Amino acid sequence: MEISREIYWNVGHGVWTLLPMYLLTIISIVVLVSASKKRLRLYREGLPLNRTDQLGRRIIETLKNVVLQKKVMQVSASGVFHGLFFWSFLLLLIGTALIVAQADFTDLFFDIQFLKGNFYKIFSITLDAAGIVAIITLSLLFIWRYLFRWKGREERGQYIVMHSVMMAILVTGFIIEGSRMAVTELGTPLAQWSPGGFLFAQMFSSLGEDSLRILHKCIWWLHFFLVVGFIALIPYSKFRHILTTSSNSFFSDLGEKGKLTNLDLEDEDKETFGANVVKEMTWKDIFDTDACTSCERCQDRCPAFATGKPLSPMKLVNQLGETVCNNPDANLIDIISSDAIWSCTTCRACQEICPASIEHVNKIVELRRSLVLMEGEFPGEEVMSSMEQTEVNGNPFGIGYASRGDWASELGVSTLAEENDVDILYFAGCYSSFDKRNIRVAKSFVELCQAAGLRVGILGKEEKCCGEPMRKMGNEYLYQTLAAENIEKIISYGVKRIVTTCPHCFNTLNKDYRDLGLAGVTVQHHTVFLEELLTSGKLAIKAEPLSCTYHDSCYLGRHNDIYEAPRAVLKSAGATLVEMEKNREEGFCCSAGGGRILAEEKLGERMNIKRVEMAAALGREVLVSNCPFCLTMFEDGVKGAEVEESLKTRDIAEILAERIN
Amino acid sequence: MKVLVCIKQVPDMESKFKVADSGTWYNTADLAWRMNEYDEYGVEQAVRVKEQEKEADVTVLCIGSGKVKETMKKALAMGCDRGIHIQDESVFEKEPFQIAAIIAEYAKDKKFDLIFTGMQSQDRGSAQVGVLVGETLDIPSISTIVEFEYNDGEVAVSRELEGGIKAKMTVKVPAVLTCQLGLNTPRYPTLPNIMKAKKKELLTVPVEDLQHMDARQVTEKMFFPEKKAGGLILEGEATELADQLIAILKEKSNVLA
Repeated sequence: MEISREIYWNVGHGVWTLLPMYLLTIISIVVLVSASKKRLRLYREGLPLNRTDQLGRRIIETLKNVVLQKKVMQVSASGVFHGLFFWSFLLLLIGTALIVAQADFTDLFFDIQFLKGNFYKIFSITLDAAGIVAIITLSLLFIWRYLFRWKGREERGQYIVMHSVMMAILVTGFIIEGSRMAVTELGTPLAQWSPGGFLFAQMFSSLGEDSLRILHKCIWWLHFFLVVGFIALIPYSKFRHILTTSSNSFFSDLGEKGKLTNLDLEDEDKETFGANVVKEMTWKDIFDTDACTSCERCQDRCPAFATGKPLSPMKLVNQLGETVCNNPDANLIDIISSDAIWSCTTCRACQEICPASIEHVNKIVELRRSLVLMEGEFPGEEVMSSMEQTEVNGNPFGIGYASRGDWASELGVSTLAEENDVDILYFAGCYSSFDKRNIRVAKSFVELCQAAGLRVGILGKEEKCCGEPMRKMGNEYLYQTLAAENIEKIISYGVKRIVTTCPHCFNTLNKDYRDLGLAGVTVQHHTVFLEELLTSGKLAIKAEPLSCTYHDSCYLGRHNDIYEAPRAVLKSAGATLVEMEKNREEGFCCSAGGGRILAEEKLGERMNIKRVEMAAALGREVLVSNCPFCLTMFEDGVKGAEVEESLKTRDIAEILAERIN
Repeated sequence: MKVLVCIKQVPDMESKFKVADSGTWYNTADLAWRMNEYDEYGVEQAVRVKEQEKEADVTVLCIGSGKVKETMKKALAMGCDRGIHIQDESVFEKEPFQIAAIIAEYAKDKKFDLIFTGMQSQDRGSAQVGVLVGETLDIPSISTIVEFEYNDGEVAVSRELEGGIKAKMTVKVPAVLTCQLGLNTPRYPTLPNIMKAKKKELLTVPVEDLQHMDARQVTEKMFFPEKKAGGLILEGEATELADQLIAILKEKSNVLA
């Protein structure tokens, strides 16, 4: 006996099968294409943005995220279920395509059949296994979503339809196979190659052949209607993510992480800055809204959401999406609410985890740019006052600019104006220059450099705020003004290497200033610089025990992927490190990013207290950080959490300076 | 309707001040400059009048070296229509009467309906220029306003008096108003307005064209107040502190006698 099966068994291969079948298929595809075209028109409403460069990298990224399900699988359990379900469905799709290819093409025109023999056996068992895995994972996902996750979600109805359609396709597939096998395969050795179908065949074995044939034919057509229905539903439901999420992976931002677009402030024809309506967003911002699967991963990790603030990155993207479709001329700031827009700390937790490659942070900054540059609005008067102080004195505290270098007056550190032949320029930043607590960090860093025999220079009163908090608050004008002044000084002194003790300064000088003309300068964060000094043996320290936990600042961690250097430094200092549950890519923001350092936290719980409590729960003595904003927030947080006696907060430089050999 | 708002560029008060070699003014090295705080209220109020009375035209005036144009640009970015810069390298040597006379000389034939000034400058603090402008022009002036309303040629204001008392007054234009803290919250200039400000008219007039008044007062000397006995901070447990305090009060005062 030929090892194979008759394709179109029972339903026939005549015109009364093929005609309605192909007609309906074509109709469903027409529905899919025309609805997709309508959506394409929506994307075209947005501003241009080049996301088709570096084709090779884009294709590889897309394959990784689609075929290998890389980003989805970053989250265990639900991610793995999704991966398994996707691969099963993909196999079933390939299997169906092979059947169509043989029955309606190779066999029909060339009399070639390849679904036979051992290949057929493998084909059969693979598809059966895929069907079983798909049913199990779909059920698990259904239970997970409905019982644990989606209470009170508005779109629950849609998701029930989607789950039901997929489940019905899978189950009817097995009924078709089972009823066919009950007639043709039961009792043959081939049956064992279709374990799923075999189960159903046994269930149906009591039915007579006539009944089985009627059952088979009805369910075959039902299965078919479900499949064409599924195709037609794609553009009208979250099924669209099959197309949009995978495409979004292709269009993802391949530039440096978290880098914002540089506004051209010289362009005199430009009348609006930032975005407060859909057409001021880019096409990618609009496309993002269609790529969103509402999986809530962003919301789960958003520190603002976790502390009861009116921001959910997912909701923001969905609101943008609804506005695009229903009310494209509406004011986005009214819809999203300025409280939500100001609540973001730009910590990037949402973007880092998003399986759909959605870019949340730049949207929020564009909205803020509109608020600040077009309306002169800020989250509070304290922020406006910080901006004005920075305009006058180059620091948000409003302290006289001339005293910026005073902290270093007795440390043997020269300003570049006095002596520019130095090994490194230490760009101290505002906090390390003016804030008492952080001056201790600056002094420790200088001590370490001097112990390593390095000559350290500072800009002193010629240094200005790097402009990062202002930029993230949307004040691009002030940022560019400050940046231009700093860059001019740095270039005029011929600086070759800059080290900062602030990840915000580091990120800004290293990435953002490049767009404004800073070139040929190495910029390093002190944790990386110190690790190099330790590894090269230039800096000798004696290890002493330290019981601590380490906080990954957002701008060193997620924005720059520097996770190991600081840990290596702590290890060589003799520290035994216990990690907080939220560490590395999952680190929980201290509250001060995104310019929030300038703002009072008036809504919800205090983020810094929440983070300190996570640290305090570990029972370690010291909470180590790498950022003056984090340190400031934690100094305040230990008081708020009432753990100031048991938990001390230190910068890595301070830990190391105590151990200089 | 024509509005004049007079502003002054002053050092940021957080700066470290030193007395200049002349001994009669402060040294200007290492100072950061900004618009006198009270003048910002004046600019804001003038711009609000313009927003209310669409045809209003707001002129901002400032006396000083070329450097003051930076501060004038902020006023233009906030919404003033044009700027008059009175070029004077030694404005700091002039007394309030002279400054007021220069402003009045400029304003006398311009038919301003409203003239706003700060209630005083943060550096000299004489609080005289605004009211002297009113006297020189022979028009009414109201000082230290904290509320302002304009309606059809009539101005209704509240003035701040001692002890938190306010006086409500009305005056017909033309009038001079000097602005006090609490009048309004000055706006943050929007970027399109900053751009527009760069193209607005900013005329420079040499001070000699307007100055016809000699000084009546002379600054003799400028100096820091002498340091007197400082405060004493007690630290320790509450009970000990109480004992220490009692001991000090007994020793150095007679409140417990």
